[in-house]
Amino acid sequence: MQHSDKTSTASTTGVVVAEEGKYLYCVADAGERVSLGRIGIEGHEVYTIPYRDICAVVHNCPAQPYQSDDQEVVKAWVTSHQKVVDAIWERWGTVLPLSFDTIIKGELEKSAEQNMKDWLKQEYERFKGKIEKLRGKAEYGVQVFWDPKLVAQNLTQTSPEIRNLDEEIRTKPKGLAYMYRQRLENLVKREIESKADECFKDFYGRIREHTDDIRVEKTKKVEPSLSMIMNLSCLVYRDTYSKLGEELDKINRMKGFSVRFTGPWPPYSFVGGA
Amino acid sequence: MVVDIDEKSLKHGVLGLVIALVEIIRDAIKLQAIKRMEGGSLTEEEMERLGQALMDLDTAIEEIKEEQGIVECVRSVRDGLDEVVDSVLDKMINP
Repeated sequence: MQHSDKTSTASTTGVVVAEEGKYLYCVADAGERVSLGRIGIEGHEVYTIPYRDICAVVHNCPAQPYQSDDQEVVKAWVTSHQKVVDAIWERWGTVLPLSFDTIIKGELEKSAEQNMKDWLKQEYERFKGKIEKLRGKAEYGVQVFWDPKLVAQNLTQTSPEIRNLDEEIRTKPKGLAYMYRQRLENLVKREIESKADECFKDFYGRIREHTDDIRVEKTKKVEPSLSMIMNLSCLVYRDTYSKLGEELDKINRMKGFSVRFTGPWPPYSFVGGA
Repeated sequence: MVVDIDEKSLKHGVLGLVIALVEIIRDAIKLQAIKRMEGGSLTEEEMERLGQALMDLDTAIEEIKEEQGIVECVRSVRDGLDEVVDSVLDKMINP
């Protein structure tokens, strides 16, 4: 499979030959050859290349990666990619999505289509295994946030060490008070971190019970007043996701906490380099 | 991290970078000061003087940032550095 760079090769005479390629959206749980219409990137016709009971979903393109310096253009391409994957997912229920800009090219003796078929053949067992694992399931995003100010306030009330220090500061001269306040801030920060750790373990355990698989993603900075303490991709049976929703609702109702629950998505995070 | 070098913003960028570095050095000093305080190797009087000095430094830095309009610039330099450190650490922990 060719991802970037050497998608068109110079022949021995030094003439660059434009090659044909197949832009690959996903592998789907269906063994038929159908056209899905002009729903692809830049309005290309999207169709399937089947092998036994699975198929690759593609459009015809030159064997060159999609590249642009214009963020908007790239965004439009990626959005089209996702829309196609969504459409296929709606239609056949189980898909193995590929990341944007995956192109299979033809070779001297072999067309891109033949290359694609060979690839499906070669990876068939692995794809089937993944499709079985993902059947009837969808990906949901779970992000848990808390308000660090509120948590810090709570800590000041509940931790005797912090409360004592806080009171001591009021009686000190300026320079000393400053030093003590720095110490207090460090203490509060450490407490908050261990509290976040505790919450993470607790929530993770509760969420785990209602999911088939979990990927822990990196937390992202959103805004100063709202700090993300966990970011998960969850693989969940489509017909039991409401149980996960109920559990998350409990967390959402805790004071100072909020939960963002998104999905269902095609299982992007659980394909692992298909 | 992107340090934008067009002519108008060059001064801003450099100043932001310098102040970000000053802040980082200050934070390191603070950390050391607190460690010594917790270790009990400072007298009350020394702590008071240290506290005063650090407080003045804080005030001076904040004033410069406000006057020069580089609050955002300094923050973005520091966030950028944080990200770099994060990703390096991440690679070390999860090779």
